[in-house]
Amino acid sequence: MQTLILVIIGLVGAPLLGGLIAGLDRRVTAWLQSRQGPPIMQPFYDVAKLFGKEKMVVNQWQILCAWVYLVAAAVAVALFFAQGDLLLIFFVQAIGGVFLVMGALSAKSPYSQVGAQRELLQMLAYEPVLILVFVGFYMVTGSFSIQAVWAQEIPLLAKMPLLYLALCYALTIKLMKSPFDFATSHHGHQELVKGVLTEYSGPYLGLIEVAHWYETILVLGLCALFWHTNVAWMALLIVVTYLLEILVDNTMARMTWRWMLKRVWLIGMGLGVVNLIWLYAR
Amino acid sequence: MSNLLVLLILLPAAAAVVCYFVRSEAVRKAAVLATGGILTLAALGLLAQGTVAPTEVGSFLGIGSDFLVAVLDFALLGVIYFYGYRHKSLLIQGFTLAQVVLLIWFELVMVEHESVPALAGDQLSLIMVLVVSVVGSLICVFAIPYMKKHEAHLHLKKTRQPRFFFYMVLFLGAMNGLVLSNNILWMYFFFEVTTFCSFMLIGHDATEIATRNAVRALWMNALGGLAFVIGMMLVYSQAGTLNIAALLALGPTGAVMLTGLAFLCLAGFTKAAQIPFQSWLLGAMVAPTPVSALLHSSTMVKAGVFVVLRFAPIFAGTFLSTGVAVCGAFTFLACSALGVGQSNGKKILAYSTVANLGLIICCAGINTPLALTAALLLILFHAISKSLLFLCVGTIEQAIGSRDIEDMRGLYGTNPRTALITIVGILTMMLPPFGVLLGKWMAIEASADSNIFIVVMLALGSALMVVYLARWAGSMMGSREPDAKAESQPLLTRLPLMTLSLGSVVLSLASPWIYNSLLAPWVGSEPFAVGFGSLESAHGTFVVVPLFLVLGLGLMYAVKAASGYRRVKIMPPYMSGANSVSASDAYVGPMNGDVPFSSGNLYLGELFAESKLTPVFNALAVALIVLMMGGAL
Repeated sequence: MQTLILVIIGLVGAPLLGGLIAGLDRRVTAWLQSRQGPPIMQPFYDVAKLFGKEKMVVNQWQILCAWVYLVAAAVAVALFFAQGDLLLIFFVQAIGGVFLVMGALSAKSPYSQVGAQRELLQMLAYEPVLILVFVGFYMVTGSFSIQAVWAQEIPLLAKMPLLYLALCYALTIKLMKSPFDFATSHHGHQELVKGVLTEYSGPYLGLIEVAHWYETILVLGLCALFWHTNVAWMALLIVVTYLLEILVDNTMARMTWRWMLKRVWLIGMGLGVVNLIWLYAR
Repeated sequence: MSNLLVLLILLPAAAAVVCYFVRSEAVRKAAVLATGGILTLAALGLLAQGTVAPTEVGSFLGIGSDFLVAVLDFALLGVIYFYGYRHKSLLIQGFTLAQVVLLIWFELVMVEHESVPALAGDQLSLIMVLVVSVVGSLICVFAIPYMKKHEAHLHLKKTRQPRFFFYMVLFLGAMNGLVLSNNILWMYFFFEVTTFCSFMLIGHDATEIATRNAVRALWMNALGGLAFVIGMMLVYSQAGTLNIAALLALGPTGAVMLTGLAFLCLAGFTKAAQIPFQSWLLGAMVAPTPVSALLHSSTMVKAGVFVVLRFAPIFAGTFLSTGVAVCGAFTFLACSALGVGQSNGKKILAYSTVANLGLIICCAGINTPLALTAALLLILFHAISKSLLFLCVGTIEQAIGSRDIEDMRGLYGTNPRTALITIVGILTMMLPPFGVLLGKWMAIEASADSNIFIVVMLALGSALMVVYLARWAGSMMGSREPDAKAESQPLLTRLPLMTLSLGSVVLSLASPWIYNSLLAPWVGSEPFAVGFGSLESAHGTFVVVPLFLVLGLGLMYAVKAASGYRRVKIMPPYMSGANSVSASDAYVGPMNGDVPFSSGNLYLGELFAESKLTPVFNALAVALIVLMMGGAL
């Protein structure tokens, strides 16, 4: 029963919180760029407006893929709030990623095609890192289940600091932020128009936006698990991490996929492996 | 009871003879269909009866069956030697001669001929029999219309189908024999029969390249046969028995025994096309598609992983076990990486097969109940999904004349049925809640216990595999004209495709019960508890049925939303505002002319070029195998 309540809280709360974070993100970004920025509620207005637009698609696959992306993201969050298996949550969120890419590939548009290829490369970069982070969880708690985290006496951050850094690396990609935003062109009009999202419009783009909010909450939730012993520290950890992401986003230029793959595999996985060796050696 | 076992082995052999000698298309078709039907029923009957304790086979016409197998063994080696001589392959001749000499010594000098129950069926055998008999039969059925079209395309004067179906059907019998053997000499005999059948099938089209690849397959598998003989002799010299059930009860008893087991694993590696032996399986792609489907899903390569898995309980907890796991994980990573650079659909499937076999062998090496469960699940679900995908590629190839995934772009527009089934097949290979991913999930959870190198290799390999499967599925999606007709498929083409795609989904849903009734008893101590349709273990929980329900409902809603797309405004794709007025997939170029738009996948040639990576991977794999074999000493 308690699980069910948690799941419902997650399903309802995650998009609200995710949208709010997106709004705050825009304010802070504007502040960093000496602009005023939109109201905090702006992402909700945007999505509401998208849902009111005329439905237009290139083909029916896009409708299917947009919906499945949303469903997968929501199910992943639900599993997270149900204290489920980390690896399973990861695979469920991968459904969303795969369908987003497939929807983009179904349209015969140069921008969405290139965006889809780049999105695949991003998945190639962050997926192994995330798996290593989850193996780290297993090494510390003896289980892949989130439930086991709560039995720990001291915060996980103490035992897996390098894995946290690796997770932040993956987080930057997952949040589509610079220097890793080349599949979606986070900032305005750049060489790729809107990459993987080019052909999604109106209500279907709205669905994807909401799904992205779910994913934001999922990855921040993962970060939160690193300081599960104290809510205040947990909140601080997430706020600092997210502010750091915004700072990186605004100070870095967008890089190429070659740069990303090399950096993430070498540094991200390197950090992960070193940390895992500590845990194995214990 | 043993009648059913003998039926599973001898019926295909008899049907093969019918296919070969009765040169009538109708009879051949009837024989293949009837064999497929009876084999399926027999396999299900065996499943219903449960495991079979080791049983004696007795004699045929007063000749002892053990003696008969020995005679057939030498006859087969003679035939293989003959082909080695005909194709002027010194490797084949050498490996075969060595086998003959060692085998004579083994049979005449070493073995004290005790009576060994020749056949047995534990849960592992039962699963393999199901895979061989059901999936293999469906592939043979699919081959009936396929080969007709294939030969029409080649403009053959005289049909070669009798020969083709002879080896296809015989293959099923040999595989059933292999997995049901309890006498290691019988196992070796059937092991060699599969080698020979695959050689004849790969070279079926008799083109120069087909012959060359067939010869390569034969010498590599002859090497495997030699490794099998050496392994068998070493194991016998220590254990003093040919009885596999007795061997399994014995456990590891020292260096010689472990070295023998290492040789048996090496034999499994060659048959399962593990790096550096992957080239024979890739070369096998020149054969007609049903052959590829058979080799990749239900026979041949599964024989390789079966041998490793069969003996895995004996070497649990030894260095050899770790060595096997590392070799398997390395193949998983390397072949996943090689697959990224491919655009040939069959080659992509081949690399993904080898990678998944590597994962299965890795699980056998990790050798915990959890890992062994993963291995069994992977064998079962990989067979279904992979045979489906091969048959799809064959259908597509006959429809569009290409097996390149770039040519399959927007296939849904012209061949919606085939495209849909292929997309389903690809999704069942990589996404939850389907069986292959369930196996992969277990494998990664099990690997966390073992070794950091293995974990890293599995993590990287699993991400690489998603890349090449996802882009293939995505590019097959596309627009379709409102009044376009769906393509027609012959009944015998559609039946296997539909059965396999339904099977891959429905059996995934049933996986908790498959686990309970089939896998758990074999693995011994039960790693999972089944509750609410979920598999729960100390490591973690996979909520199979709940996930199926939730995602299934979500998908149904998505399909419903998508099917209403005629009410939605259909727009041409975005071309920076320069869309051509006359064509939907072109933009306005210089001189107001239409420039058609085209795009291709990123194959990352600079990172994943086959020609660059293969030598490096081969060298590393040889080093790892030496490490594995040496560590057993």
